[in-house]
Amino acid sequence: MVSLNDVSGSLLHKPTDSAHSVGTRTDSQYKPLTTYNLSHQRSYQQQYGDMYFLRLTKIKPAVEEVAAAAWEGTTIGDERAKQVDRVLDVRQGELCWVVGTVYMNLQNKPNILEDVSKDRWISRPDPVHKYFKEDETEEIMLEDDSGRVRLVGDVLHKIGLATGCIMAVMGTENSNGELEVIDVKFPDLPPQPERWALSSQSGPRGNGVKKVKGEDQEMSGQTGGKRKKLAIVSGLAFSGSDASYALELELLLEFLLGEVLSPDAQSELSEISRLIVAGDSISGSDVKPVTEEEKKNKKYGYDASAYNAVPSQLFDDFLAEILASIPVTLLPGSQDPANSSYPQQPIHPAMFPNAREYTNPPGSKEPGWLDIVTNPWEGEIDGWRALGTGGQNVDDVYKYVNSEDRLGMMEAMCRWRCCAPTAPDTLWSYPFQDDDPFVLKDCPHLYFVGCQPEFGTKVVSGPAGQSVRLITVPSFSATREIVLVDMESLEVTKVKITTA
Amino acid sequence: MDEYKKFLADRLLSDEQPITYRLLSRALGIHVNTAKEMLYDYHTYQNGIKAESIHATYVVYGTKTQNNTAEDGDVEMSSSMPEHEPLSETVPTTTLALVGQENLEAALAEYQEVASIHVYSLAPGSQRDVSLLYDVAKSLAEYTSKEDPLTAGEKYGTIRNLNVTRRDRQARPKPGASTSQPTKAQPAKAQPPKAQPIVPIKSEPAAAKKPSPFEVAAAAAKLKKQPTSQTPSSSETPTSSASKPAPALKRGGSGSIMQSFAKAKPPKPKPEPKKEEDTEMALSDDGEADDEDIAQEKAEYKDSDAVRKSRKQREEELRRMMEEDDEDEKSEEEPADEEMEEAPEPEPEPEEEPKEKEKEPTEVTTTTTNGRRRGRRKVMKKERVMDEQGYLVTIQKPGWESFSEDEAPPPKKPAIGSSVSSTPASSGGKAKKPTGKGAQGNIMSFFAKKSYH
Repeated sequence: MVSLNDVSGSLLHKPTDSAHSVGTRTDSQYKPLTTYNLSHQRSYQQQYGDMYFLRLTKIKPAVEEVAAAAWEGTTIGDERAKQVDRVLDVRQGELCWVVGTVYMNLQNKPNILEDVSKDRWISRPDPVHKYFKEDETEEIMLEDDSGRVRLVGDVLHKIGLATGCIMAVMGTENSNGELEVIDVKFPDLPPQPERWALSSQSGPRGNGVKKVKGEDQEMSGQTGGKRKKLAIVSGLAFSGSDASYALELELLLEFLLGEVLSPDAQSELSEISRLIVAGDSISGSDVKPVTEEEKKNKKYGYDASAYNAVPSQLFDDFLAEILASIPVTLLPGSQDPANSSYPQQPIHPAMFPNAREYTNPPGSKEPGWLDIVTNPWEGEIDGWRALGTGGQNVDDVYKYVNSEDRLGMMEAMCRWRCCAPTAPDTLWSYPFQDDDPFVLKDCPHLYFVGCQPEFGTKVVSGPAGQSVRLITVPSFSATREIVLVDMESLEVTKVKITTA
Repeated sequence: MDEYKKFLADRLLSDEQPITYRLLSRALGIHVNTAKEMLYDYHTYQNGIKAESIHATYVVYGTKTQNNTAEDGDVEMSSSMPEHEPLSETVPTTTLALVGQENLEAALAEYQEVASIHVYSLAPGSQRDVSLLYDVAKSLAEYTSKEDPLTAGEKYGTIRNLNVTRRDRQARPKPGASTSQPTKAQPAKAQPPKAQPIVPIKSEPAAAKKPSPFEVAAAAAKLKKQPTSQTPSSSETPTSSASKPAPALKRGGSGSIMQSFAKAKPPKPKPEPKKEEDTEMALSDDGEADDEDIAQEKAEYKDSDAVRKSRKQREEELRRMMEEDDEDEKSEEEPADEEMEEAPEPEPEPEEEPKEKEKEPTEVTTTTTNGRRRGRRKVMKKERVMDEQGYLVTIQKPGWESFSEDEAPPPKKPAIGSSVSSTPASSGGKAKKPTGKGAQGNIMSFFAKKSYH
């Protein structure tokens, strides 16, 4: 209960003669990585099989280590468990463990073999809500380059699995040729770099911007710097037709610029040192699906009059206005004008005629003030290693499991050491040949995923003292929420904007 | 001191336009916080004169009382993990709400703590719809169009950032200029305005009607685009305001977009009537031709007229064009089609293709009419099937395929000319062919030739 009189930061009074101060924003130490950038001259000729091979080769040693530590010397009955190298080496009746890639065969899952044999070559996948079906039997298989074996056992149903994750299973092969699983192990979190591993802490700081912030300094402790926050938003969905949240977007703009609110709150807003836009900045609903009828009349199936430039222009104006005050990292999402297969490459700056002057000229090494990046994206923000995606990786894993726990899926991906396990099976992906960048080499401190139905956050920790802050960032257009992360403690708060 | 009251009275009472603190700050060139205070002051002042004449919308920012948890201000607890972990931690949520004056008390009651409150906007007493505020917000660009956001922000109280890096504006082509695409029609269009500023634009729509559908469509598109394509040329004329600052140019672009989108009644900036003119000029960079005023007006009229007319036409025209093209294509492709079918097959292994064809007694020519042979021939067809174990199997099956193709041209016939032509009938057929098929026919006959040697 608050009444008007208790409000401290009130501007409900006559104009005063004293001049209002102008806040200065804290700077953001920022070092993006190019883990997911593809070469401009890339070939699409190669097969996808290499990705699975690479992934298995990269993750296998870690899983074997975990599995050996857990199962070495295990005896069940009179039998000692021993490791076999290849899936095909599993012998009936012998207790053993083996490492391989999970393959899930689910009822609703798209099947490329079926498509090919039925001569279906549609370009757009059917939007399936869940591949998983409650009452249908699922087939879980473990495969490596030698072959595959079907897995059975109750333990499998207690854990969520998705195609493409690497795991070790212990069990015996039964008379049906199925491996009865007793226990499974995952590689768990990869090694976590120290804070400030890539960027130096004493980066370029604004001169003469020391503000009276005594209390804050005491609170933030460790580094003695000013408190910093990171704002993450996704699903801005600028639209040419749906204006139902246009005013909220305007308020968001004023919020980020620090124009709304009273002086005390404004100085708090100046602590927001960077904005991350995690996908779906432009609404996809403005694009009408082309019907067969229409298609016939158009050359190359393209109709210029169906293109609506308003959404991207609105977004451009939004960016251009906030960039004067705050640096922005922009990830593409599934609705954005970027390639649709993972990793999505940066949206072309030509989409932003106004905002692009804040980007860096091509070829420059320094990150731009507007940094248009890939999805997934990896980088270091204020010393913390951050990994972010536009949400497709989680959305796709979500279809495999009988669960709504998206944070759990993010955690699982960290523990699987793979941020897009279902690529290239159901998540469209570039056919990598030399390296599978989706394998996590370094454990992030901050892992955020955009365009999710609702906000959520938690911290997970690993066996070697790793600790990861997971955040599901909701779509602004649906929830009107943005996420603020304190860059000292990695504590999360959110701000909700309402106009009702 | 009372200047702002006069401004607000004009805006709210005379024009009956809502106003936000941001717009007031831009219009008067003052700090946003001062603008918020002025709005409050005017609201109390005016409603003191006449109750309910002005409606205020407030911004309330703070933490709402949580319904489910009884904990008081214990939001920090969320970081320590409870035993039975919920899916997500609960985190402190701050709410930024726009609240109408009639709901203010009720809204405040929902809050546990309010960090700040101020007037967001004022509207004439009858207007209570907050969605109108979006239009107001979008009209802001008219005031800021000429300013560099980096320096102007300080005046208005935007949080400044000392580390902003921006590319040099002059170093790259202006966006307007870069979007104009050179078409055949362009040179003709871009030049006349320079030579005779008034006449040519008028005559354009008329001239555009004569040529083929494509050109009409192109012209229509052109007319719309014209201003952009003219920007470079107009900057050469001494009369045009070539020294327009770049920011105005860009802002103007966004302004016009906003207007067309929001269809806002454009708010009249009363105190600075000159400004309005300026913004219009700025708009004109992207939206209108940039020549002398007279020329501009006429051009504007003609342009919009032509555009309106031709927009309807254009679709029609385009469709017709497409249909025509499709038909053309069909008739073009028809003969080629069947031949093409066999062409892709051997493509992966072009080495084997001649061989296969050489031992080709498997061809039965049934008819030869008008220089075309029709018949059936034996080919190997690939078929993919899924076997009972779920594996994909590709089988090569022999099969018959009907074809029709040009008669194999007599060797070196094209080089020697018509002198070697075998029969009058076939040569007549031949003579027609090239017009229809062009280069493609030659490629096909190349294939056919090979099979006969």
